[in-house]
Amino acid sequence: MGGIRLDGATKVYPNGVTAVEAVSLEIPDGEFMVLVGPSGCGKSTLLRMIAGLEHVTEGRIFIGDEDVTSVQPRARDIAMVFQNYALYPQMTVEDNLGFGLKLRRVRKNERERRVTDVARILGLDTLMARKPAALSGGQRQRVAMGRAMVREPKAFLMDEPLSNLDAKLRVTMRGELARLHDRLGVTTVYVTHDQVEAMTLGQRVAVLRDGVLQQCDTPQNLFHHPANLFVAAFMGSPSMNLVDAAVERDRVTFAGFSLPLPDDSPLAGETREAILGIRPTDLRHSREASPELPRITVRADVVEELGGVSNLLFLLDAPRVVTDATRAAAEAGSDDEGTLLADDQRARFCASVDGRRNVDVGEEVELAIDNTHLHFFDADTGRVLGDSTIPA
Amino acid sequence: MAERQSAGAGLLRRLRPRRRDEPAPGDPRNIGWLYVLPGLAFYVLFTLAPLVHTVYYSLFSWDGLTAKTYVGLSNYSSAFVDSALRSSFVHSAVLIAFYAVIPVILGLLLTAALTRHPVRGFRFFRTALFLPQLIAGVVIAQAWTWIYDDNGPLNWALREVGLGSLARPWLGDFSWALPAIGTIGTWVTYGLCMVLFVSGVQKIPSTLYDAARVDGAGAVREFLAVTLPGLRGEVLVALVLTTINALRSFDIVYNTTAGGPGGTTLVPSMYMYQNAFLYNKVGYAAAVATILAVTIFVLAAIVLRVGDRSERA
Ligand SMILES: Nc1ncnc2c1ncn2[C@@H]1O[C@H](COP(=O)(O)OP(=O)(O)OP(=O)(O)O)[C@@H](O)[C@H]1O
Ligand SMILES: [Mg+2]
Repeated sequence: MGGIRLDGATKVYPNGVTAVEAVSLEIPDGEFMVLVGPSGCGKSTLLRMIAGLEHVTEGRIFIGDEDVTSVQPRARDIAMVFQNYALYPQMTVEDNLGFGLKLRRVRKNERERRVTDVARILGLDTLMARKPAALSGGQRQRVAMGRAMVREPKAFLMDEPLSNLDAKLRVTMRGELARLHDRLGVTTVYVTHDQVEAMTLGQRVAVLRDGVLQQCDTPQNLFHHPANLFVAAFMGSPSMNLVDAAVERDRVTFAGFSLPLPDDSPLAGETREAILGIRPTDLRHSREASPELPRITVRADVVEELGGVSNLLFLLDAPRVVTDATRAAAEAGSDDEGTLLADDQRARFCASVDGRRNVDVGEEVELAIDNTHLHFFDADTGRVLGDSTIPA
Repeated sequence: MAERQSAGAGLLRRLRPRRRDEPAPGDPRNIGWLYVLPGLAFYVLFTLAPLVHTVYYSLFSWDGLTAKTYVGLSNYSSAFVDSALRSSFVHSAVLIAFYAVIPVILGLLLTAALTRHPVRGFRFFRTALFLPQLIAGVVIAQAWTWIYDDNGPLNWALREVGLGSLARPWLGDFSWALPAIGTIGTWVTYGLCMVLFVSGVQKIPSTLYDAARVDGAGAVREFLAVTLPGLRGEVLVALVLTTINALRSFDIVYNTTAGGPGGTTLVPSMYMYQNAFLYNKVGYAAAVATILAVTIFVLAAIVLRVGDRSERA
């Protein structure tokens, strides 16, 4: 058992790419930590540094209380699960499970006991004599998990272990993973680029961008208190609506609309320009919302009916917010929201309203804005403004 | 394997009724013959026909000019007790060690070393290693005859470093001629193995190596658990090709020692040549050729069979 601590961990590849830059992170014993970020942000590199598969250019890595920065992978007592499972193709399931123990000279009866135990937990008992080629994707995934589990390591490191499965199986395995973690309580570092996976699995989530740690917090806090524009735009689907706004004491003005700011709102009482962020779920159909909330009237340009909710997309009379952070987050978005109305240079907003409200394209709708949950960001630095929960 | 497949196909047919003459998708179809027809025609014309012809000649006593007499299997029975032929096969066995076993082992070891410590500019080496494959046997034989010559570079080098007592006319030495020829074979086929293995290693997913390292494997276990199984196919191909090369080696022997000195480097193909063109025993030469062909066929089958078995076990 042991926590993991990264202290200014930096990785510069021989070709000059800085894949991970001064990441400091403390993962307490038993925590399920998710590393998330767009493709190429250095998640795998960071995980491989923890595993000892990648030489650390600068900084230190601790597992338990031990400084393992220059310790060989096999001596770190960690187990890893790979995206492509990396099962030994010539070995049976049983041998795959037991190989790590064999190399560690665990006695035969002990080895067999652990392998059978794990096989039972994962439902692999009937597959023990098969080779990986004769297994389904889900079964292979289970064997890969099992291989890590029999080792009873200090920590599990998983690099997108579910991304080769189809959508339905992914959801099932996600549940199983969460249950396994509850049961075993082993420190786990889990890499994914899927923010739904990150939100549902992680006790805490670390968001990376270009090798730099952006924010590390509980999924709830990441969603409700993003530290910067990138995290705000990256977490949540559909993503946060952003528009240039001007705050003047107790009002905020954007795209021809003007809303009152509640007293406890960030920036209330100040006068400055900022980027305003509103979650799609904080834009509600007028008839569903409390009458105190301010209203705006818009014309729906696209209506996506998803059943329970409908996403109303509409364009504002203001330029689209384009910064490096929003662009990077938009590129990482897996859904098609980025492509809808993409050629229009105006700011695109999305409101997630009750699916029972029938709204037609081109129809005028009155939306209530929950002005108690507005986010403001500095247009230059991208940092959140006036959120007292975020350390400066 | 074949049984399993046909059982599966039968099951399919039972589950889904279909017209009798309609093949199931994936079942072998007769149209396949059409595709292999051109190749097959050449094969029959230039490989199978001469082979059948050879077998036919082996049943006769014939000097190649005058009328031939049918002698049944007596060429084979004399081959069976022919000590020269027997020793030629023993020489072949020695050559297999040099042509097949040593290059494969050497190639595997070097490939394993390369995967752990990649070398810059390996692409150049790869080309260089493969070069002997492209050079005609006669040229190789000439070059090595010069190297092995009494006053050649090898002996010169030995004398330079003070090992002059070891210097000798290598190809004329009763006990050293065969290993000397074998070394030429090692030089030729080693590059082939290396190229096969190095390209094979690149197909092994790198995460498999990572997994082995995390599992706790050192260099040896990593080689045994990842590299060797991953190269199974390549090792088999290399073994079959090089073994066949060893057994039918003719041009190098013919152009270096021609079987000498005193028959110490006589190999079956050389012996066959001597019988056919020097001793005018064409029927007997044909019998030797047939025996050699059967031996090659059987050995190749065994190698492939063993490899196949080890995969399934
Ligand atoms: N062996 C390498 N040599 C040089 N650069 C590398 C190497 N491996 C990765 N990189 C670079 O380092 C950066 C981070 O790569 P990494 O694989 O960690 O990203 P990732 O976050 O895991 O992305 P993905 O979600 O696509 O897997 C990328 O810019 C990548 O091009
Ligand atoms: Mg990755």
